[in-house]
Amino acid sequence: MGMMNFAHGEFIMLAAYALYVFAGLPFPAAVASALLTGIAIALFAERVAFRPVRSADLSTQLVTSLAVAAILQNVVTAAVDARAQSVATPASLSESTSIGGFSVPNLEFVTLGLTAIVLAGLGWLLYRTRTGLAMRAAAENFDMARLLGVRADRVIAISFAISGALAAAVGVLIVMQTGQVTPTMGLTPVLIGFVAVVIGGFGRMFGAVIGGLLLGVLSSLLGAYLPDGLAPFRDAIVFTFPVLILIFRPHGLLGGEVGRARV
Amino acid sequence: MSGARFRSRSSFAISLLVPLALIGIVTLVGASGRPAFQGTVTLILCNLIVVLGLQVFVGNSGVYSFGQLGFATAGAYVAALLTLPPAFALLQTPGLPSFIADAQLGALPATLIAAAIAGLLAVAVGLPLMRTSTLAIPISTFAFLVVVYNVTANWDRVTGGSSGLVSIPTTTSVESAGLWAAVAAVLAIAFKWSASGYRLQATREDEVAARSIGIGVMRERLIAFGISGVLCGIGGALAVHQSGVLNPTTFYFGATVTTMTMLVVGGARSVLGAVVGAIAIATVNEMLRGIENGADLFGAISVGAAPGLAAIGLGLILLATMIAMPDGLSGGREAGELPWVRRLGPTASSPPSGAPAALAGRSQVEAVEKGALRAEEISIAFSGLRVLKKVDLELEPGEALGLIGPNGAGKTTLVNVLSGFQGPDSGTVTLDGVDVTGGTPTRLARDGLGRTFQASLPFPHLTALESVAVGAMGIGIGRRRAAAVAADVLDRLSLLGQAALPAGSLTPAGQRLLGVARALATHPRYLLLDEPAAGLNEVECGELAEILHGVLGDFGCGILLIEHEMSIVMELCPRIQVLDDGTTLCVGAPEEVQADPAVVEAYLGHSFQAVANA
Repeated sequence: MGMMNFAHGEFIMLAAYALYVFAGLPFPAAVASALLTGIAIALFAERVAFRPVRSADLSTQLVTSLAVAAILQNVVTAAVDARAQSVATPASLSESTSIGGFSVPNLEFVTLGLTAIVLAGLGWLLYRTRTGLAMRAAAENFDMARLLGVRADRVIAISFAISGALAAAVGVLIVMQTGQVTPTMGLTPVLIGFVAVVIGGFGRMFGAVIGGLLLGVLSSLLGAYLPDGLAPFRDAIVFTFPVLILIFRPHGLLGGEVGRARV
Repeated sequence: MSGARFRSRSSFAISLLVPLALIGIVTLVGASGRPAFQGTVTLILCNLIVVLGLQVFVGNSGVYSFGQLGFATAGAYVAALLTLPPAFALLQTPGLPSFIADAQLGALPATLIAAAIAGLLAVAVGLPLMRTSTLAIPISTFAFLVVVYNVTANWDRVTGGSSGLVSIPTTTSVESAGLWAAVAAVLAIAFKWSASGYRLQATREDEVAARSIGIGVMRERLIAFGISGVLCGIGGALAVHQSGVLNPTTFYFGATVTTMTMLVVGGARSVLGAVVGAIAIATVNEMLRGIENGADLFGAISVGAAPGLAAIGLGLILLATMIAMPDGLSGGREAGELPWVRRLGPTASSPPSGAPAALAGRSQVEAVEKGALRAEEISIAFSGLRVLKKVDLELEPGEALGLIGPNGAGKTTLVNVLSGFQGPDSGTVTLDGVDVTGGTPTRLARDGLGRTFQASLPFPHLTALESVAVGAMGIGIGRRRAAAVAADVLDRLSLLGQAALPAGSLTPAGQRLLGVARALATHPRYLLLDEPAAGLNEVECGELAEILHGVLGDFGCGILLIEHEMSIVMELCPRIQVLDDGTTLCVGAPEEVQADPAVVEAYLGHSFQAVANA
């Protein structure tokens, strides 16, 4: 959409809280409710906050999303608590499977599988379906797409619903890994996402994937090899790294389209 | 020379005095209260300084930074460590070098050092970050904020880690905070109306147009980023000397949202907006916090404790502002620019009078020097499509060359290559014999190349006079002389009567002329005009032709005119170059060009040619 959404982290957080609220249900039902929460909250935010500023400049949209993020975060703080709440996860996920001498937690398989499915599904949707074509058209030039008969309101709502579902998936994975929810849990993932997009270059899904992988690998390597004295500064180093890339590639590794001025 | 001013004296005075008066009132109200209230007001004033710091960068550049609170953090820690009594320092920060631990400076030197270090940090961080795009800066500055948090929270031996520092001397009074806030407001307004501030505002209004008049976008952003860092550092240093405690979350995400809300609600483009927004939001915030803690509201409504309420309220206010009033309470105007203040004043707008001949002198002298803008064998392809194929072009100072051809012939691409907006695949561009191929638009503009665009690309929130003056500032002319140059140019283009109007409010024809005026103010020896008559009616076209005649005579620059309106081209240009499908069909006098069979075919098609011959 050419838009950065700070509130995406709060979509993640709210989906995770759905898991916490519906912890009594059977696990698949709880995950489904988290998914629905993510979609519902994304659609709601689109209708109430983002649609009115859709024709405004990017900075206005960015600050709007910041406002939405602040509201959602503090609503959860007021409604539940500022402190972390623990969430029980199915035991089967915390077990490990042994492959060729390496013990791999089952959760890693789920994470890996889900990521692959999401990426493939998203790629298929964006580049192989009519709806995806309409979405990309609306992202390029909203008014023109509309003139050509693209049902733009619906298309944007769909893309928000998709981003809500993706956020919910991330939220579920985070809860599986950490076993707890906090009102600020969305901040780090969304920042990692943003930075990945900056590294990769705007408007390129593949760029975001590369950027995300780079950040992940870097973070893991630092986690493993950083001397004890520097270990607490891992995040600082991870987030400084994009700057080094941007010095040499101001528009990202793949070179974004948005950053270039058209004359 | 005295005629040309950006604003009347009264408008200037009002714009400066109203924010100062507001700060004064807040300070006096604060000083008259009980100690707890004094503390609250002192912190509000510190916040105000940080918001002014935000305004300097965000307001003038139009680029959002979420990292400025990182500089407030830096300033706060520096000031705290410099003033912490040695005994406490030994206890809390054992890793600190002894010369800092033993130092126990007074409030003023500590604040100044904190400001300097925050400013240096901002420049160091800004050097790489300002190179990135308008979209990437919000993200990368946000990442910087997280880095600062991560470092302060974990560098236990120096910063006291996540538990932070306590027993910091509380030396900031309401009065001293008010004084600093006043200094910050004056500084912010002085920057906004400096040549550098104007150049930065031009990049906010239209980045492409700003580059075309010699403005280095990265440089101007970096300057403001540094000044913003200094102000944020002062705000942080003063705040920590009020509260006496400091931890890594003091100036983190929450404070970022709060200060950003203050700036945006007030109206980011103006210093008045920053001051009004900071005071208004702080007031609302204190009231909401009162409710949050279960206090009685106005002694009547009793509400239970509701944590998070204040933050939700601020979020809703921010959201409502973005949707309903994106320009904020001040509308982005300074006090002297408010519509009702203008009506009050005796001289609503005093158009500069008696325009001096500030401009003609220089360019005519230089026009005598022999030289030319020369393009040789320019070729360029866009993803396989060859747009220009070995095109030559030569333009001498004082001559008018028409560049015509059907749509898609490559005319605009050629102008983009000449003005540095597009690097050619092969071929060279020389400016008075110097090879400038691949030079940036900024560089080329300073070397004497002016241009306009097919769209007018106005600076809507600057006045007509400012829009043109910023062209002169773009090539390094100081603001006073720039105003005189702008008045002179506007006078010659018969636009002087509209000098005080916002550029965005001019008619389309006026905005087009303003684009020409802006380019002329950069003292170009070569002026490239890309369809200046597009969208003008017949009368306006006639006027434009007349004005361009005048420009040729007055300014002595060479004009390259792309135009589909043949009457203007034929009248103005003794020499015409015809481009079709990326190659030059012919160059010659208007009659020659009109008679050339290849030109007729390009314009009217082959069959017409056959009919004409038959």
